[in-house]
Amino acid sequence: MTWLSPILAGAAAAIAIPALLILYFLKLRRRDIEVSTTLLWQKSIQDLQANAPFQKLRRNILLLLQLLVLAAAILALAQPEIDMGVGDGQRFVLLIDRSASMSARDETDSRGNPVTRLEKAKQEAIRFVDTMREPGLFARDRRDEAMIIAFDTGAEVVQTFTGDKRRLRTVIESIEPTDAPARFEEAARLAGAHAVTVFMEAVGLVTEAGDPMYIWSDGGFPDADRVSVDPSTPVHYRSVGAADSVNFGVTAFHAERAFDAPERVSVFVGVQRVGAAGGGGEVDVEFAVDGLVSAVRTVRFPETGSDAPASEIEAPRPSGVVFRLDRLEAATLRVRLLGQDALASDDTAWLLLPPARRLSALYVAERESMLLEAVEAQELSRLVSASPQQFQRMADDGRLAEFDVIILDDWAPQTALPRGRYLIFGAEAQGLRGLEGMGERVEDPRIVIDWRRDHPALRGVSFDNLYIASSSTLQLGESAVTLAESDRGPAIVEVGDSGARAIVTNFAVLDTNWIWDHNLVIFLGTAIRHLAGDGAAFAHERLTPGAVLSTRLPPGASDVELTLPGAERISLTPSADGLVNYGPIRRIGLHRLRWTGVPGEADQVVDGRPQRTMAANLLDPYESDIRPVERLELATRDIESAPGEAGPALAARSLWPWLILAALGVILLEWFVYNRKVHV
Amino acid sequence: MLKTTTTTRPRTLDELLDPRLVSRLTQLDVSSRKVFAGKLKGERRSKKRGESVEFADHRPYVVGDDLRHIDWNIFGRLDRLFIKLFLEEEDLSLHIVLDASASMDCGEPSKFLYAQRLTAALAYIGLVNLNRVTLTALGAAAGGAGGDGGSEGDGGPPRPAPVSESVIRNLRGRRRVHDMGRWLCSLTPGAGADFTEAAKRIALTRTGKGVMIVISDFFLKEGYEQGLRYLLGRGYDVFAIQTLSPQEIEPSLGGDLRLKDIEDGDLAEVTISSALLKRYKANLSAYCDELRAFCARREITHITVQTDTPVDTLVFEYLRSRGLLR
Repeated sequence: MTWLSPILAGAAAAIAIPALLILYFLKLRRRDIEVSTTLLWQKSIQDLQANAPFQKLRRNILLLLQLLVLAAAILALAQPEIDMGVGDGQRFVLLIDRSASMSARDETDSRGNPVTRLEKAKQEAIRFVDTMREPGLFARDRRDEAMIIAFDTGAEVVQTFTGDKRRLRTVIESIEPTDAPARFEEAARLAGAHAVTVFMEAVGLVTEAGDPMYIWSDGGFPDADRVSVDPSTPVHYRSVGAADSVNFGVTAFHAERAFDAPERVSVFVGVQRVGAAGGGGEVDVEFAVDGLVSAVRTVRFPETGSDAPASEIEAPRPSGVVFRLDRLEAATLRVRLLGQDALASDDTAWLLLPPARRLSALYVAERESMLLEAVEAQELSRLVSASPQQFQRMADDGRLAEFDVIILDDWAPQTALPRGRYLIFGAEAQGLRGLEGMGERVEDPRIVIDWRRDHPALRGVSFDNLYIASSSTLQLGESAVTLAESDRGPAIVEVGDSGARAIVTNFAVLDTNWIWDHNLVIFLGTAIRHLAGDGAAFAHERLTPGAVLSTRLPPGASDVELTLPGAERISLTPSADGLVNYGPIRRIGLHRLRWTGVPGEADQVVDGRPQRTMAANLLDPYESDIRPVERLELATRDIESAPGEAGPALAARSLWPWLILAALGVILLEWFVYNRKVHV
Repeated sequence: MLKTTTTTRPRTLDELLDPRLVSRLTQLDVSSRKVFAGKLKGERRSKKRGESVEFADHRPYVVGDDLRHIDWNIFGRLDRLFIKLFLEEEDLSLHIVLDASASMDCGEPSKFLYAQRLTAALAYIGLVNLNRVTLTALGAAAGGAGGDGGSEGDGGPPRPAPVSESVIRNLRGRRRVHDMGRWLCSLTPGAGADFTEAAKRIALTRTGKGVMIVISDFFLKEGYEQGLRYLLGRGYDVFAIQTLSPQEIEPSLGGDLRLKDIEDGDLAEVTISSALLKRYKANLSAYCDELRAFCARREITHITVQTDTPVDTLVFEYLRSRGLLR
């Protein structure tokens, strides 16, 4: 038994009980009655009072009952609690997963109604809050406090530490599901951020054990192996979700135009099945172009005939389907999995197909080299070769904007590069953000040891056979992106900003054996396509719920309005250079930006206003894999799910409401006794 | 217990005594365990040898004896003169002392009214049997009867009656019944009197012997012992009739009360509890027992009567069985 405010109750008792007794002694509310003689009464009173001054109070049931009421009230004031081992107030960090997979409707509430995993998690969290220790009336420090973090890809502290249970409940109730994939790293970092680091003599900085963490999630964090939680911090994991749920999800959606026939578009759709082991099934995939359904194909998952029991869940099984389409213009593609499954947000995906077009390029060199021939091999609509003087004139006339990409072969102007996209080989260009300078070219044979194979500019390119005879040293700023690295430092970098942007090599093509390598042609193709597409790249880039929508509008754009998938409209204010940000995005679907001003190259014009459409898709195999994880395997330790674990405060249950109730009961009894007694 | 709420008081003797009761009362007479010397010849045997028809004894004739009393039959047989002695019949002095203090004006039925009725019945019996009846009301209100001087039958120097006492003396014969009734009806309970002093005065005033009936609740803070001793000292055959109301015997009080003594205004703050009621009843019982024991030791006949007992029951049963009436 713990008393939260014993001193207060003691003081109240010291005042109230004697006061009640004195009131009883001094009670003046007596009825006057004339009797024949007081002789016998006086004698009787004297007899009763003979023993002690408190004889008057003896057997006075009304006083006894009032003392009982008072005692109950004072005990209630002392706030007794039955505790089972927990000391003073604790602080808890409640982490609630609101990612896409938590929207799977495969849980049941206490009455057996189907609910989503998030609703179940919220109910359990509220139950947890309900059992937290109440604050003492005047001992606020002896209550439990909780912080609530809602997380998906990112994490958000939706409620800082408080003991206000009503507020905690309201905040938990208000957590909305999102379509974002789950990542745990940021949430764990936020949760651990409150651990106090103290300096201890002869030991140094010591981080105290963090507050206990309670996680409600279905697990499945792809970044779990990067999450490290302080070993002394208690972590409780409550897994939600039914293990036998069947889910089909779109995990990939990609479209490609044929290299030789741009109107021919191949659309690849990856579909994944999660469900009971050995089970088969099929799902219809609906393919729509600009909102009109053009095909429905069935993806079959044959039964594997696995020996595993049906209750076991097998690993996700991927499959896919390809749709073909003839279209030169831009189009909005949509795939949808028909039929019911556990999770809806991975059943639909959108893709914005850019229009087919050929690029134009300007080749500038003091002396035309064999590089020009490699450029000519590209499928370009227009290729112009110019000398530096012609380049300068074109720059002065503003005609450079006619070209998608400008290739500078071993030459660069001494002044800052005009606005445009550049592919620069072995020359030091001015005015590119992130490129601070280039040293003298030194005869020093090198090879490329590493490159970013996933970068769009290097897709399919290999530098294995590249031998560089002489090269310069690049001095790079923070914003520079290194694409390929030689054994002496960056060899190919991407620098610049929205004005002038360039892929720069620190060597001239003629100083290498690249000219004999077919990889040069591939590199030129991918790099030119990457640079040229850069202006509207965001339109085609994958946008995932949980990420921030960030795009650059043409200069002068104003009155910017973003329409969300739910038709909600939001006004945005672009920064000085046209950048607009919104996010994080919560829902999958098409996000439409409309503004007043000039349209960008890839933007449509609808009703006289430019419009840029962006599709947010889940496309996450981890998130579509909705199998609840019973064991969180973090970098530092593994945590088993313990759904039935007691809340903090089964350990501390307040008794004062019962005492107040008892006091009320005694008052009723007293009223009854009084009415029975007072009659003449 | 509580002051009587009904304030109507009897105005005539008929209201005090039911005519049917009156007709039955004539059969009764006051008896006394002692035989007293009366002043006048009455219907009662006296110690004195006298002139009644009832033979008592013989004695030798001495000169001067009334020759009419010589038993000539004995003279014929024995040739000696004997005088026949007869028992003298005398009247009986009946003195009823009625407590008219305020404490008697309590209870339902009122103790005072009950005492008035009882007094009327006993006085009537006394009057019709030619006894000398004297009535004294102790502590009656000053505006009440006052001393009925005209009724003092045996003359004597007229004495101013004390304010707290009202007396009607020496009534005799049926024709004085209405005087007695008027006097009784004129009584109003007053503030109360000192019983001891009053008893002392009565004892000093009274010369003869006879039957003394004291009707009171005997709730006397100064004590009843000395007063009763005074009364006994004059040779009276004393009867103490203690009247108690039902509310005094079984109080039906509850709650927190301030009890006010109706006579002296004394206050008692009580919280009625079962313990207190129990204690009160025990005290009442002890008080009555004490009075009874005191009376028994001094040959005083003590009767406790509850005011809801009918007067005729009291008269024809209780008082007869206790030897006051026959």
